[in-house]
Amino acid sequence: MKQLLSKITLWATALGLFSATLTAEMLDVEKTELKFGFIKLTDCAPIVIAKEKGFFSEEGLQVEVIAQPNWKTLLDNVISGNLDGAHMLSGQPIAATIGFGTKAHIITAFTMDLNGNGITVSNAIWEAMQENDWDLDVDQPEHPISADALKPIVEEKLIAGEKLQMGMVFPVSTHNYELRYWLAASGIHPGMYTTTDIGGRTDAEVELSVTPPPMMPATLEAGNIQGYCVGEPWNQQAVAKGIGVPVTSNYDIWKNNPEKVFGVTYKWAQENPQTHLAVVKALIRAGKWLDATDENGVLVNREEAARILSRPDYVGADYDVIKNSMTGYFYFQKTDKRPMPDFNVFFKYYCTYPWYSDGIWFLTQMRRWGQITEAKPAEWYFETAKEVYKPAVYLEAAKLLLAEGNIDEADIPWDTDGYKAPTSDFIDGILYDAKDPIGYLNSHDIGNKD
Amino acid sequence: MSIKYKILKAIDVAGLNFLRPVILLCYGEEPEEQIRKIGLFIAVPIMAFCLFLYLWGLFAPMHKTKSGEVPTPSVVWDSAKGVWAFHVREKNKANAYNLEGDSRDKLLEQAQTRLSELEPMVARVNEQLAEADGAMQSSLASKIEPIKAELDSSKNAMREAQKARQADLQARAKAIAADDTAAKEKLLEDYRAHLAQIETERESLRSYEEQIDEIHNADFPQRAEAIRAQSAIAEERQYLVKLIDTLENNRQQKLSDIETRLEGFESSYYEASGADLLKHAKSITRTESLMVNAADSEYAKPMTLPDQVLRSVACVFAGFLVASLIAIPVGIVCGLSPIMMSALTPFIALFKPVSPIVWLPIFFIIVGGFIPDPDKHWLIAGLAELPLIGWMKINPAFIASALTVAMCSLWPTLVNTALGVASIDKDHINVARVLRLGFWSRLIKIVIPSSLPLTFAGLRISLGVGWMVLIAAELLSSSEGLGKFVWDMFNNGSSQTFAQMFVVVFVVGIIGLLLDRIMIVFQRLVSFDESPTSI
Amino acid sequence: MEKPIIQLENVSVGFGPESDRTEVLTDVNLRVMENEFVSIIGFSGSGKSTLIGLLSGLVKPDTGAVFCKGREATEPGPDRGVMFQNYSLLPWLTVYGNIELASKQVFPNLSKAELKEHVEHYIEMVNLTPAIEKKPHELSGGMRQRVSLARTLSIKPDIMLLDEPLSALDALTRANLQDEIIRIWEEDKKTVILITNDVDEAVLMADRIIPLSPGPNATLTESYNVGLDRPRDRTTLNHNPEFIELRNAITQSLMAMNAEAKKLRSNTELVMPDIRPLDLSAA
Repeated sequence: MKQLLSKITLWATALGLFSATLTAEMLDVEKTELKFGFIKLTDCAPIVIAKEKGFFSEEGLQVEVIAQPNWKTLLDNVISGNLDGAHMLSGQPIAATIGFGTKAHIITAFTMDLNGNGITVSNAIWEAMQENDWDLDVDQPEHPISADALKPIVEEKLIAGEKLQMGMVFPVSTHNYELRYWLAASGIHPGMYTTTDIGGRTDAEVELSVTPPPMMPATLEAGNIQGYCVGEPWNQQAVAKGIGVPVTSNYDIWKNNPEKVFGVTYKWAQENPQTHLAVVKALIRAGKWLDATDENGVLVNREEAARILSRPDYVGADYDVIKNSMTGYFYFQKTDKRPMPDFNVFFKYYCTYPWYSDGIWFLTQMRRWGQITEAKPAEWYFETAKEVYKPAVYLEAAKLLLAEGNIDEADIPWDTDGYKAPTSDFIDGILYDAKDPIGYLNSHDIGNKD
Repeated sequence: MSIKYKILKAIDVAGLNFLRPVILLCYGEEPEEQIRKIGLFIAVPIMAFCLFLYLWGLFAPMHKTKSGEVPTPSVVWDSAKGVWAFHVREKNKANAYNLEGDSRDKLLEQAQTRLSELEPMVARVNEQLAEADGAMQSSLASKIEPIKAELDSSKNAMREAQKARQADLQARAKAIAADDTAAKEKLLEDYRAHLAQIETERESLRSYEEQIDEIHNADFPQRAEAIRAQSAIAEERQYLVKLIDTLENNRQQKLSDIETRLEGFESSYYEASGADLLKHAKSITRTESLMVNAADSEYAKPMTLPDQVLRSVACVFAGFLVASLIAIPVGIVCGLSPIMMSALTPFIALFKPVSPIVWLPIFFIIVGGFIPDPDKHWLIAGLAELPLIGWMKINPAFIASALTVAMCSLWPTLVNTALGVASIDKDHINVARVLRLGFWSRLIKIVIPSSLPLTFAGLRISLGVGWMVLIAAELLSSSEGLGKFVWDMFNNGSSQTFAQMFVVVFVVGIIGLLLDRIMIVFQRLVSFDESPTSI
Repeated sequence: MEKPIIQLENVSVGFGPESDRTEVLTDVNLRVMENEFVSIIGFSGSGKSTLIGLLSGLVKPDTGAVFCKGREATEPGPDRGVMFQNYSLLPWLTVYGNIELASKQVFPNLSKAELKEHVEHYIEMVNLTPAIEKKPHELSGGMRQRVSLARTLSIKPDIMLLDEPLSALDALTRANLQDEIIRIWEEDKKTVILITNDVDEAVLMADRIIPLSPGPNATLTESYNVGLDRPRDRTTLNHNPEFIELRNAITQSLMAMNAEAKKLRSNTELVMPDIRPLDLSAA
């Protein structure tokens, strides 16, 4: 009798599931077994969460999530078809599509997160910066910290015939542009890319070089670089190990800047449109799960997410270290723990929508620093952004999710033209209007002007 | 032949000669001599290893860097257990996806029971951690505050003094007349003294800062213990939740869901009529294809260390096989023909010293060129269907790594084979001439057998080289295997990283040892003279 | 006149370039009749092995020619079975394997069973059946030489060329093998050319003995016919006056040739300083 009862309850649950999925017409995916690549950074969370919380599986997808050693290999693996898709730097699909570096048509229909990076300098540089600006020499200096206190150090080094060395993760990474922006905003020239100088060091006062994210703390400690710009947990790691001091987060350089995207090749998307849709659906749900808050605005799922990310096959860093930034806190020094609720944004502010304006900002930075070698008309910027960013796929996935009741109407900017409102939320206060890329380029002191 | 002789022969061929005195002792031959030998060949190595472990445990904690501390043997052992636990859990999840019927229900019930046991413990460990945290904070604060206060006060005093000196200098500077060279010189001197003083003051402050740093970085065992306890419980809980989730949504469940749905669609199809028919038909066909997909689906299990070890071994053997297939024939040709030897010598000399790190990207591009779309390529698809290695998901990265192994490891075999063939006994050739053996039978019956011992010596070196190269190749190609494990764990930068490296050291060492032993056995089997193989 | 089964005509062999040539054998003539047992005797280093090489075809003459059964022979072949000085057994094969390899090559038409029987027959012939599955390195020198003999016999050569086959063996084994070779020769009545440095052995075994003058420029000299009756009994032979006379004559002729050669050689030899190294261990 008892057995019968338990059987009935089992059937009841099965039926319950059935009725829940009945409205959710499963997509007829072309491919059920997928391989996605990621770099060991906390902002890979949407992919990992979509897998671990079963969002992929509910779309009928079995996804393998595979760590990649560096951004270049990750991109190559996506292009060569070893991976179906990957956690990518926003600049990567754009650069690949316009042919800076490896040429391949990569598209994105999903922005994974906002913010999440920091600039860390070595202890010695931090001390010198404190000497230059006594206001920094307190337990909790006022933010944002600009590179003004760094400028005298750079100049001193230049007189001695040396250049300050800083690390970033990839030539077309957000980190590169953010670090350059931060330096240039204080009048420090970070160097130009030219056709002959693909290292981007022409006229540099501070030389930037590529180091894979997980190698950053070790490279800093070894003294090969004196600072770096990287995502989490590699800034918190520096604090935990006492080898460096994060001076600013990219939230302070540009409030709510786009960070990573989910990239696939154009060819893959063409061959697997339903699969692509299913993946974007799962990712949107993962984003929403990550940013879920209770009535007090506290992020409720982030500790669980940090626990999942700390697994060795995902980010693998200590839970303690990952937890800091993921739960909305950030240690700038051991004595300086601050709440940073928007350090990682995975869903709020319509963040997952693939904005054309985001793409155009990266294009302007590529032009500003000479990665795009010749002047282009404004139309080119609009066209290129359209080639890479695919809001149509995103909106279709969102529609399906809305019908299933997995998201709310207010979660998605249904009627946007793909351009965010002009903003001057930058560290130097310059206005960015995506509809006028040329004007934006010309408003900076350092860098190419058209 | 007596059993004793057979056993001795077997351990001799297997290269396990250190067991010889044990066997002889069992037969009661010269017990004293055997015991002496056992002491020398078995007890001494074991003692040396124990001593090594002891010294390691003794000295490891003394060495600390900012990146972490050198793990002790027990930490490494714990880490190895952790790696194994991860493997077991992933395997269980993968199995859970395939379970049906009673076994599924049973596992589900087990997991749920265990989960309900854990729930109260979660709160407890969280509490303990909070407590430990509080204790640490207050302890830190009590230790740091006095130093901090001292630091702040002396810093302020110094800054005040600096400002005063600066102002004083400024005032004097204003008063100096344009032609008062002596006063100007004095000012410059004082300014220098001022700067030097700032430097010494800064120096004195630094010692305070170092003290504070030290306090911050000091271990706090109670908290570390609490974190460990919390992690252990939280990880198990997370595993159980996922296990239950997998069981509840496993293949069987999905299939039965879809089946019910299909039945629904079918009944509504037969009830419907007119224009709706096609719409319903579409639903049916789509559901059918969903069913096919679900039936084929597998849990996407991440590669765990044991899988990676097997895949690495497969990779090294694949590379070794390719290397042998190239090196032995080329070596024979070189040994037979001075012209070929002379033609190939520059290539051997040129390519032999090239590092695997250089070969890998080249092979990557070459392999990528042949396999543009791995998922649809016949070779990859074919390999995935093979029974024993199908699960390894052989991909271009695997092939490129194997080829890199081949490229780096073929030289010893090639050179040794050429040497073996070239140095064949003239008398053996005379025998062949008298018997009028043709080219092929001379090659197969005389030349190859007589060069085999040297060839196998070369193969043994090749396999050793290949195993070393493989780790580097996998690390670079991120082909799943030990190399990728090393790189991933290094990239994790967690407190476990160093311990995991040590685990890998032992895993790699033991497998390398086994591979070498296997080759020794082969070498012994083909060697026709009594000369012992070097160990 | 009866045709010789193997014949050397004005054969010379040397090594080295024109300017610094060493003639090993000069102007060698040899005629061996069918079923004859000829022994060639000479000092070590006089070119005996080169002579075997010439007869077997392994060494090509610089001038002159080698005829085998009336035809010029330029290549070695199984019709002239060679028993090498150092056995030349293939170390990776067993006794059986060594003989099988040779037999199979020479008699490719034998069925498996016939081949097995054939091989076993010859192993039996040299009394090695118990060691049939052993490898050469597990055998004593005498056993190895017997394997070598069996291999040479198993290919049923018309002529057997024995290159100092017994020189490395102890006296007892040697005597045994001598008897065995004679027995087999008497059974099969093959042509045998035995190279040796042992006069007793030559007289005991051969029909005809040809001394080889010491090299360089070695050549065959006048031959001695051995008229002793067969079977020859080595125990009584030592007291046979004919045997003693023959042995002394051959020995003397060899000694004389050696003295002559030394005289010739000393002209070209460097005069060594007359100092000897001190033997410290003797002190």
